[in-house]
Amino acid sequence: MDRRSFLKTGCYGVTLFTTAGLIPPLPRRAVAASLSFAITAEAVVRTLIDGSVLSAWQFTGGVNGAGPGALGAGLVVRSGDIISVALTNVLAQAINVTIPGVLENTPACPPGATQIYQFTAPAAGSYYVCDALPGDIGRAMGLFAPLIVMPADGGNRLNAGGALFDKQYTLVLHEADDRLNAAIVAGQAYAMADYEPNYFFINGLSYPDTSARADTAIAMTVGQTIALRIINPGLIYNPLHFHGYHVQVISRNRSLETAVVDKDTVSMCYCLLPKVACFLCTVIACLRASGLPASTDASTRPGSRTDPWRRTYFHLFGI
Amino acid sequence: MAAAQTLANGTSLRVWSFGGGFNGDRAVPAPVIELIEGQSAAITLNSMMPHSIHPHGLDVNQANDGVPTTSGFVGMAMPMMGNFGRVAGLPSLGSSYTYSFVAPHAGTYMYHCHGDTVLHQEMGMVGTIVVRPADGSTDRVWTGGPQFSREHIWHLHTFDTTWHTQTLSGAGTVRYRPDVFMINGRQSVAATADSATAIRGMADDVVLIRLVNTGYLPAVVSLGGLTFQVIASDGRPLRATPMVTQWQVAAGERYDILLTLTAGTLREAQVDYYNIRGTAVLGSATTMIQAS
Repeated sequence: MDRRSFLKTGCYGVTLFTTAGLIPPLPRRAVAASLSFAITAEAVVRTLIDGSVLSAWQFTGGVNGAGPGALGAGLVVRSGDIISVALTNVLAQAINVTIPGVLENTPACPPGATQIYQFTAPAAGSYYVCDALPGDIGRAMGLFAPLIVMPADGGNRLNAGGALFDKQYTLVLHEADDRLNAAIVAGQAYAMADYEPNYFFINGLSYPDTSARADTAIAMTVGQTIALRIINPGLIYNPLHFHGYHVQVISRNRSLETAVVDKDTVSMCYCLLPKVACFLCTVIACLRASGLPASTDASTRPGSRTDPWRRTYFHLFGI
Repeated sequence: MAAAQTLANGTSLRVWSFGGGFNGDRAVPAPVIELIEGQSAAITLNSMMPHSIHPHGLDVNQANDGVPTTSGFVGMAMPMMGNFGRVAGLPSLGSSYTYSFVAPHAGTYMYHCHGDTVLHQEMGMVGTIVVRPADGSTDRVWTGGPQFSREHIWHLHTFDTTWHTQTLSGAGTVRYRPDVFMINGRQSVAATADSATAIRGMADDVVLIRLVNTGYLPAVVSLGGLTFQVIASDGRPLRATPMVTQWQVAAGERYDILLTLTAGTLREAQVDYYNIRGTAVLGSATTMIQAS
């Protein structure tokens, strides 16, 4: 994918950024900007890795381009930017735009309407945008998008004053229970207690498609430091295991990690203890290329009809 | 190899095993492999059936990583068995292969079969690797690290018995609904009687418990309300060592915890296995902690 295709100029005359698994550097600038994003919530039919089709919902970036992998939308901004998201809802039911921990209890956007949601970009870190009406159904159906907040100075750091990285990727984890999707698009209810997903995705892709996409298969050269923004807007926990590598966990859910840092298996979510809702789970991890070719298995969850392990690959060059 | 495990309800369950048993007395989990930091390690797998050994967390090179798609498999492809092991078209390493690497940091690791992993790992092809400090000492967790006087491995695993009639992952393994909940391959009553699992020590014993989750569910470990210290994970010391009364261990994770016994301690330790949404406990395994 052409890096320049990530940079778009929007109708308000400011430069807009969309996120991809491989995030290009932001241009430096001195002051916070006002940025406007237009996204659409719409029904999509996804062809899955085994050839079956899944009726789902998705945020798409409209004129602003696509998110990483097969995700439809994503935002990359700088801390302090004034953000305006114009949501157009072409679904048959009301939804909204929320950002767990940042922007909650927002007004509904009725079917056919456009609603503006405004917020100030929070501290540098990884977040996600999602629908929270009604309950978990929107996320189960696919209404989410990554929100990447870079430091105000636009530098290649995960947090202000943090360590530099060479490249960064966004890996969005989610899953689907095709029975839920079938029920929802048929206008029926689905009891979340029955939610048992049978398809699993990174950036909307299943293996081996994950290794075929430049924004999801991680490519690095020896000595580089790679930032991985692992975002789980799904409804299940996922342990990611890194073959050949330990990673450094930099932060979880907007907090710097100070204890459980050096890991080969990173749990998403982390939060059975203390017993709190697990809906917000983002992890930023750093990986330093050591010279080992490696693959990583995301999730030891069994049960997919196809390859039950989500998997993406690190490719090392220059060895 | 195939083996049978007698469950608490008296029925016999087919399991797959690397043989040898945890302490020589059980098929699952597989033998504990002890290595010394900085020394060369060689683990030979002999198998006619397609399997492999993945040294999980040891950061080995690709040739010794045991992933059939990138590193081949041990044994022969068995097309008449419906692509057993899911190794069709992948390179065979022969009926015997020695996985070689230098043991990295002292700590707790695991190994498992990576052929048709979802089924083979669940069926019991899992084991623990303990890397001792470079001086070979068996009373410190790592060089200069905390000292301990007793040591246990708690290998956390569950079975969905409906999976144990399968020979290949697929339609029969779409959803995971475990009904057997274990520590070291033992359900509660047996785990309490098991000397490898139950902690029976003296006052002032410092007990190291190596928690290894080779199952598929998030497990929450509690020691009957006793406070313990979490000191390491995934073969690395923690940067801070929290004192807690319960701790979550996700699939594939390892945590090393320290418990100091006091005179008269008599508690029931419990491992709660949560569903993948973290909303309910599907089942538990218990064992005993006792100090004279």
